[in-house]
Amino acid sequence: MTEIIQVVIFGLLLGGVYALFASGLTLAFGVMRIVNLAHAVFIVAAAYAAFFAFEELGIDPIVSILFLIPLFFFLGVGVYLTFFVRIEGSPRYVEMTVLLTFGIAIMLEGLLGWRFTGIFRQAKPSYLTDAFFLGDYLIPTGQFYAATLSLVLLGALWLFLRFTRTGYGIRATMQNRAAAQLVGVNVRRVSAISFGISAAFAGASGAFMSYLFPFFPFRHWQWIALLLALVVLGGMGSLKGAVVGALILGVASSLVVDQIGPGWGPMAFYAALFGILLVRPQGLFGKELAV
Amino acid sequence: MALLEIRNVNAGYGKGPDILRGLSLEIEAGQSYCIIGPNGAGKSTLLKVISGLLPPRSGEVVFKDVPFNGARPDQVLAAGICFVPQDQAVFPEMSVRENLTIGAYLERDRKVIKERMERVFELFPILAERASQDGGTMSGGQQQMLALGRALMIDPAVMMLDEPSLGLAPQIADQIFATIRELEALGITIVMVEQNAVRGLELADWGVVLDLGIVRFEGPADTILDDPRIRELYLGKAVGSEGTT
Repeated sequence: MTEIIQVVIFGLLLGGVYALFASGLTLAFGVMRIVNLAHAVFIVAAAYAAFFAFEELGIDPIVSILFLIPLFFFLGVGVYLTFFVRIEGSPRYVEMTVLLTFGIAIMLEGLLGWRFTGIFRQAKPSYLTDAFFLGDYLIPTGQFYAATLSLVLLGALWLFLRFTRTGYGIRATMQNRAAAQLVGVNVRRVSAISFGISAAFAGASGAFMSYLFPFFPFRHWQWIALLLALVVLGGMGSLKGAVVGALILGVASSLVVDQIGPGWGPMAFYAALFGILLVRPQGLFGKELAV
Repeated sequence: MALLEIRNVNAGYGKGPDILRGLSLEIEAGQSYCIIGPNGAGKSTLLKVISGLLPPRSGEVVFKDVPFNGARPDQVLAAGICFVPQDQAVFPEMSVRENLTIGAYLERDRKVIKERMERVFELFPILAERASQDGGTMSGGQQQMLALGRALMIDPAVMMLDEPSLGLAPQIADQIFATIRELEALGITIVMVEQNAVRGLELADWGVVLDLGIVRFEGPADTILDDPRIRELYLGKAVGSEGTT
């Protein structure tokens, strides 16, 4: 039993980070109907920033979140206003966003590869290999920081969406775009801000990626597959769904890795996704499609 | 001087043909208007153009002598014209209270928001009872009341209603019509599209018959109701039918 709980703890720590990684993606889809295939490459770009800030300037990856969040927020707003406003009225908007973000992803991947080469990177702060005991259970310090801060950031996002005027506007746009316009929400402004927040979360995610998961430019394809799976599992566009889905799949894959073997982890992840979607095609918290 | 003027407006969707073809209409303050006409006449399209959801291809919408060309929906709303669309008007995963709060999105004074919400709760006691229930879990009639209540939160000069009784049971529709009468009494200018043309005209001061994207007839609502030609052409089918725009 102790061992199972230990494994569940590992799974939750992993899931907490996944939740942060996926939250920006689900927000972009929920508010703006953007399937952002470039979300993971944003994270990888932020991981490079955190990595070099650590290597060159000695800034701890976790501290680098303080500048990555505003930096990526403004980058996100800039990307939205530069690229997405142009296709706003298109009847094939969602499909266009797939192509557009696919292009952005390839371009950014190329830039990263050109500047930073394709070798594996990983920041190695002192807490990377540390761990502490909580009762009988071993908690890896670096993962603990990442998961806890991820949940803090997600909590902050929740409070923002729930209690601020802009948050009301974002939620209204997610739930009913036309009605949001009719109560006076400037949907373009709200969309630009949401894309900024989405990118800011990619920025924060990158700080954690920089020391938790070794990365190189091409790695983002593997991540985007996983993150899209989480978003679909949660119910396209549902933040709550992405968080719960990330925790479930984090635990599921940890359990399988422990019981069967490490090679089965990714398979367990997608098998769980497959199983859940068979029962709930709309995802955990998605709405059933109107027929 | 009319409060709201639609001048020679052409409008349509995407690359499709014009739905409105040079439509002109004047709306006077404090009056209530019922727009009727067959399917595809452009009734809903007209409301969408006025609300800023659909930019006109040509012509202009003038409110209080200020032309609104290309104004966004939030700018139209800020000027005092609100629009309650046909269906799915509420935010399903927000409580009744949140739905009303966001109705006053453009109003930043919390005290004013609170006063307006109290007024809405007086008009619609059912909303006060269900204040913490999610909008999406309410019945069709209650959602329609919520949509009306939310529109009141902006304290509009003009309220445009697209098929307010659509899909509602007769008693519930009666309640909605009674409510619209109260809104008229508050001095709000009502512009309503109603598939139940007879009920709509009974309620309104002025009737407007749209056909093929232009105003075919207009006049005092009771005159239109009594006109045998209009009865035959436009009201005969409308009575009790479930047609939408």
